[in-house]
Amino acid sequence: MLYRLRLERDLKRWQDKGLLTEAAAAAIRADLASTHWGIGAAGAFAILGAVLFGFAVMSFVAANWEGMSKLLRIVLLLATLWACYGGATFFFGRNLDRFGHAAVLGGIAVFGGSIMLIAQMYHMEGNPPDAVLLWTLGALVAAYLARSGPALAAAFVLMTVWSVYERNLSDGLDLGFLPVWAIGAFCAYALSWRPGLHLAAISLLVWIVPLGGLVLDQHAHWIVVLIGLAVGLAGSLGAKELDRVVGPVSGAVFAYGLAITIAALFILQFIDDRAIPQTRDPNGMLVLVLLAVLTLALLLAAMAWGIHTDNNGAMWIAYAAFAAEIFTLYAKTFGNLLNTSLFFLMAAIIVSGLAWLALRLHKRSHPLAGAVA
Amino acid sequence: MTLPRLKPWIALAVVAALQTAVLAWMIIDRTILIKTGKEIVLPVRPVDPRDLFRGQYVRLGYDVSSVPLRLVEGPRPVGNAAFYVTLEAQEGGGYVPVRLTASRPRETGPKQIVLKARTFFRFPTAEQNSSGTVQVRYGIESYFVPEGEGPRLEELARDKKLAVLVAVDAKGNAALKGIVIDGKLQYSEQLL
Repeated sequence: MLYRLRLERDLKRWQDKGLLTEAAAAAIRADLASTHWGIGAAGAFAILGAVLFGFAVMSFVAANWEGMSKLLRIVLLLATLWACYGGATFFFGRNLDRFGHAAVLGGIAVFGGSIMLIAQMYHMEGNPPDAVLLWTLGALVAAYLARSGPALAAAFVLMTVWSVYERNLSDGLDLGFLPVWAIGAFCAYALSWRPGLHLAAISLLVWIVPLGGLVLDQHAHWIVVLIGLAVGLAGSLGAKELDRVVGPVSGAVFAYGLAITIAALFILQFIDDRAIPQTRDPNGMLVLVLLAVLTLALLLAAMAWGIHTDNNGAMWIAYAAFAAEIFTLYAKTFGNLLNTSLFFLMAAIIVSGLAWLALRLHKRSHPLAGAVA
Repeated sequence: MTLPRLKPWIALAVVAALQTAVLAWMIIDRTILIKTGKEIVLPVRPVDPRDLFRGQYVRLGYDVSSVPLRLVEGPRPVGNAAFYVTLEAQEGGGYVPVRLTASRPRETGPKQIVLKARTFFRFPTAEQNSSGTVQVRYGIESYFVPEGEGPRLEELARDKKLAVLVAVDAKGNAALKGIVIDGKLQYSEQLL
């Protein structure tokens, strides 16, 4: 929607400047109108409806559970499951794809509910995250075979829940996540569904960021910083190669690398109390200030690259992180005014220095830019 | 996309069939365990019997639920991984744990049986708890009281010795099969 509004404004401006003929503008508008954008209101409502339908079935079953024999309960659960996929067939057959996807989502919900209810019926305990894994795999199969984006989205949410659950219980490295994630990423690729690739990236990010707390001495967040930097460099310095081999992904790769790096630096500075010396310790303050300076320099570099490559996502991440960094530092060092002022002085010097550098570089690469400005 | 595109109704039927198969496998696996597993009777750790069967489900504790850490043999189980507790039958009925191992022991004595177990949280590390005990669960700790059976079982259990009948398969998986009160099987699990 925002894109359309912006485009409309730009079209007007270009027309006014005589860059675009009336006919060309009309053709662009017509093309835009003929393209489907996103899920849309009908699809969103259909999906919400499917979720509510799932809840309705589950609460009906739960409310009348006691009065039913085991066999009847199982028959009812399976009948609901098949009704969902039957409904999906019906909708897909009539080109009502959005309702079809909603029905598939409903089927996945019923599948998960059935796992839980059968486990309860037969007093199965085992390892609770395993049930979520089974549910995830069911969702992945549905996403792949029914070629359903919303189902794949559900699968990514479920695998993330599974991984977090498993980690909370085991407090260890959950390597089992990676193969399941790879299946999901492959599905996103096979469906050539770009939001699916973003979901894959986000769920992997959720897995990577806390990694430092699980390996080596449990405070090894620098590993995650290095991973993030490597990903960020691949998306910036290696952008040309990456885009040539994989497709136009370098912008997104850079933004995710930046997010990972920043998240790990945040954990290192502010969240894991034992990762660096305490702030009460004079050396600790020095380490914190050095890390903060590094973080801010990195953010400025990321902003510069974001502006250079017109990467809005990366720029917003960098802006938000910059604000969060400054604010958290202020809160953390409050009461230690000398260090706070020292830090802001250093930050100010670095920012000004970078601004000067950026201006020099800009002038060199666009000799006319200075004159025009 | 490498896979030839299936007709939607075939694809969705395959999804429904696979998911049905998973659910059916859960039930069949359990049924086989209960039908063919070796039966043992485990005394329930005494609890206040008045409230025992009143709720929707009860948590059952056993004497074998706390295992002394000195019984750990070989590598210590880590994190949330399953491990194995070897139980030995006692003269007067009941069992005591005799060994805790990370992998399933190959050989057991004639009076011994191996149960797969997990901790409630994560396994204590050597530094955390070198003596003491670890609370384990065998997957037979919660029991959903069948409708209408609560008052009868509660009446029967009053001041009586309560035990459960458990089926154990060769891999150490355990399933509740019934409730034993004063040595008599008073309720057995319905399979379908």
